[in-house]
Amino acid sequence: MGWKTWGLKRSPWVYHVNVGACNNCDIEILELLTPRYDVERFGIVLVGSPRHADALLVTGICTRQAEPRLRAVYEQTPKPCVVFLIGACACTGGIFRHGYGMARPADEAIREIDPGAIIAYVPGCPPKPEAMIVGAVKALAAL
Amino acid sequence: MEIAAAVAASIGTLLVGFFSSWVDRKVTARVQWRVGPPLLQPVYDVAKLLAKETLVSRRALGRGFLAAPVVGFAAAAAAAAVLWLALLRPAEGFLGDLIVVIYLLTIPAIAGIYGALASGSPHAAVGASREMKLLLAYELPLILSALVPVVQAGRDPEVGATFSLGALVQFQQNAGWTLWSVSGLVAGIVALLCVQAKLTLVPFDLPEAETELMGGSVLEYSGPPLALLRLTRTLLLAIAPIYFATLFLGGMGDAASGWSWLALAGKYVAVLVLVVLVRNTNPRLRIDQAMKFFWFGLAPVAGAAVVLAALGY
Amino acid sequence: MSQLKNPAGAAVQSAVLSRVLSSLGGMVTEFEEQNPRRGWVRIDPARVREMARLMTDEQGARLATATGIEVRDGIDVLYHWALDAEQYVVTVKALAARPSLQIDSVGQDLPAALWIEREMHDLLGAEFRGHPDMRRLILADDWPEGVYPLRRGFKVPKTDPAGGRERKKWAGAPRPPAGPSASQPRGTRPGRTLINIGPFHPLQEEMEFFQLYCEGETVVDMDVRLSYNHRGVEELSTRLTWDQVPFLVERVCGICSHSHPWAYVNAVESLAGIQAPPRAQYIRTIVAELERLHSHMLWVGLAGHFLGYNTVWMWAWKYREPIMDILEQVTGSRIHYACVRVGGVRRDIAPDMYPAIRKAVDSIKKPMEMLTKAVLDDPVLHARLKGVGVLTKEDARRWGVTGPTARGSGLAIDVRRDDPHGAYDEVEWKVITQEEGDVFAKAVVRCLECFEAVKIIEQCLEKMPGGPIAVDVRQVPPGEGCGHYEAPRGETFHYVRSDGGAGPVRHKIRAPSYVNIPSFRASCIGQTVTDVSIILAAVDPCYSCTERLARVYDASTRRPLYGMDELLRLSRAKTERLKKEV
Repeated sequence: MGWKTWGLKRSPWVYHVNVGACNNCDIEILELLTPRYDVERFGIVLVGSPRHADALLVTGICTRQAEPRLRAVYEQTPKPCVVFLIGACACTGGIFRHGYGMARPADEAIREIDPGAIIAYVPGCPPKPEAMIVGAVKALAAL
Repeated sequence: MEIAAAVAASIGTLLVGFFSSWVDRKVTARVQWRVGPPLLQPVYDVAKLLAKETLVSRRALGRGFLAAPVVGFAAAAAAAAVLWLALLRPAEGFLGDLIVVIYLLTIPAIAGIYGALASGSPHAAVGASREMKLLLAYELPLILSALVPVVQAGRDPEVGATFSLGALVQFQQNAGWTLWSVSGLVAGIVALLCVQAKLTLVPFDLPEAETELMGGSVLEYSGPPLALLRLTRTLLLAIAPIYFATLFLGGMGDAASGWSWLALAGKYVAVLVLVVLVRNTNPRLRIDQAMKFFWFGLAPVAGAAVVLAALGY
Repeated sequence: MSQLKNPAGAAVQSAVLSRVLSSLGGMVTEFEEQNPRRGWVRIDPARVREMARLMTDEQGARLATATGIEVRDGIDVLYHWALDAEQYVVTVKALAARPSLQIDSVGQDLPAALWIEREMHDLLGAEFRGHPDMRRLILADDWPEGVYPLRRGFKVPKTDPAGGRERKKWAGAPRPPAGPSASQPRGTRPGRTLINIGPFHPLQEEMEFFQLYCEGETVVDMDVRLSYNHRGVEELSTRLTWDQVPFLVERVCGICSHSHPWAYVNAVESLAGIQAPPRAQYIRTIVAELERLHSHMLWVGLAGHFLGYNTVWMWAWKYREPIMDILEQVTGSRIHYACVRVGGVRRDIAPDMYPAIRKAVDSIKKPMEMLTKAVLDDPVLHARLKGVGVLTKEDARRWGVTGPTARGSGLAIDVRRDDPHGAYDEVEWKVITQEEGDVFAKAVVRCLECFEAVKIIEQCLEKMPGGPIAVDVRQVPPGEGCGHYEAPRGETFHYVRSDGGAGPVRHKIRAPSYVNIPSFRASCIGQTVTDVSIILAAVDPCYSCTERLARVYDASTRRPLYGMDELLRLSRAKTERLKKEV
């Protein structure tokens, strides 16, 4: 995986997928682009299509309605790619875990179509932007 | 030998392009109180894209879809080679290479349009149609503005009107830069704006989104084809100022002398700065406004410049 | 069926309630006065439409929301009417009796009731006779028929492991009445929104949130599909204890994160007759106004993004950071504060933090001044935003909108004044209104409200009383309560019912965007496509709801025309065109 990931580590383009979130994690993700955190320093750019993406930022509990969308997006993302589950909701379902709106945990949904998917968990409700940056850096370094 | 030289020219241009692309992103970041990406970021982007898989939609015309970026890149690389040939060995340029360069420089846009239409996505199709309209709009003023140095050379009985880039460069070395004449100045401004459109930079970037990559037209591309599209853009970003320098700023003097390399670098940076400045300080036009601007604004102006050149100004 | 204390005709203390009762007249069967600001009335269900007409026309009431609750005899429909000028909330109950569970639809007369009746149908199975559009609103497309989450004995149905690919396509908005040239285009079927015109991008299929139908450049109709964020909070709430619920409801929306718990707590305290101590009220107010500040600045940034002023976006969010920092210092988290609890607040604000709060709030004064001035003076913004997306006062009333959306249309309603709680009646502040009802007016309202928020915070810090920060609440007695609060986006309304147990047996949550978003049907129709994205943004819906989830269709052929990024592009292009013209 060496040379393939060399570029990936230095130029991870991210696509944001909201599958049923309360917006907190989404706003904090947007904040990463603003002057205080400025993740473009790491080459991270928010792209408008999963086909251009190297990392998916998934937020939310994967509701019944949105689950097919998550699968479609994952399939549309060229591999190798990393899936970041941002926030407690994406990691485990969080406080909504036992509700009827949740289809299944997001990582299960993705592993069903790709058992070898690379998934990184960034817990928190919401995780602070610093935590997201640390999570991203760690995951990319581990590739 | 020639092929090796051409390849070397393309690679050299590419490196220059990477640098320019970084400058553009850095300036944008600074304007927004941000830090911006590191120097090698454009290289990393391309390297990363080369390592990804290529996804082709079921509905796309596969071969055309994948061939288009290759064609676009090849054309841009060839244009770079021709330009460098004219700069480094002006005496050896072939007749008509100015026309060849202009033709070659339209191919990336056409290939992009074809690729977008072949991709099968309605969004890409919308972007493609916009790009077509823009192409139709700026080609005429671009060609007219390129005629001005030709006409100026034509007035000189020793040189005669020539479409050879090399001859035009030599003419400018002797008679002074095209830009330092009234018609040349006017044509230069027109050419600069057309170049801005060719690079699909603000204020003419409607076919693409505000993000780094073109939005609509390249929506469906991924992996190596996308890398090629990126590289094509990078090449164009380097070629355009060089093209401008060749036609309007006298190109380069004796290739052996370091001083003329320095001069060329200076000209290149000046044009690049202008392009980036225009990009960062201007509004974005709607497609119909851009078309009106080129057809009814710049084209007559360029035509007038040609007339002026013929009259000796 | 809950018994209200007084039969019709008994003596009434409150003048407001007395007026309402005499207006409703003979349809009233019983009523109850809970306190000087809350009244409950039961009427004959056959006369619901008349009641709605009387309440809106004669009483000038606003339908805040409606709650459905399953009772032994059927489904009780509770219409919560806010009488803002009189500082009163009256709830009118009507029973949709078994076995038919039918009741007349109020939505056919009053647009504000359209969505909530669809929701009650979805979640409870109540039938509303005469409702023009009974499609699913908030449950997923693959939700089985006949399973109602808010009914007793509900079990979560399994999801289809194949990812629901065979599920039914959602039937789009009913077609507008056919014009003379309405022949069915080949390949369309009535009621279907999406046509496979050939290639399509999987992402662009179906998952859109807003659907706009246009003829040429003009929007003629609009439809909204919810469900992507539906997490079943109301049902979850009934499984928690009274004290756990605030943690749940603050996650309903990330940006109104203090608003939902406070409205809930207001409802419970109203039910149980609890009064939180003064210091707690002040702390709640301070956190709430800080939230309002960060929310409005966030909106300014997003609006700039939609218009093409990316520098404004970066700049507004940069200056928002001190507010986030101070919120973290005061409550422990940048968002999701876990500040409010039944009876008070959880954490005190130590006096040595007051200077830091003052400093943070001071630091945004200058940027907000510059920004407000820019908005008020910039000719391009005037050209871009004035007269765009106008929501008339009458429409605002009929759709029941709240918050800056309403105040921008001249409706001077603000829960902080109309139902005082917290410290709002002890500090000086103004309700900001504008008359025009366009996007510009709403922007101005939000900018000016920031200054009011700053004023409120500074006064609260000065006048902060000492004392305990909470009262001990051992048990919540049986009963019901309504509570509302002015979130940055508008009124958040909560209703709770208790049977004396550990947690609520019914908890109704109505977020402000729920009433503001349907008003697009009034404000988007007739507008051009280029303006759509800024009109959508003007009511400040939750970001994730509008991000990339709007699509535009051609009205006659139902072909998709634009996606959200396209709309953004159009919007920005128009800005630049105006820049050149101005």
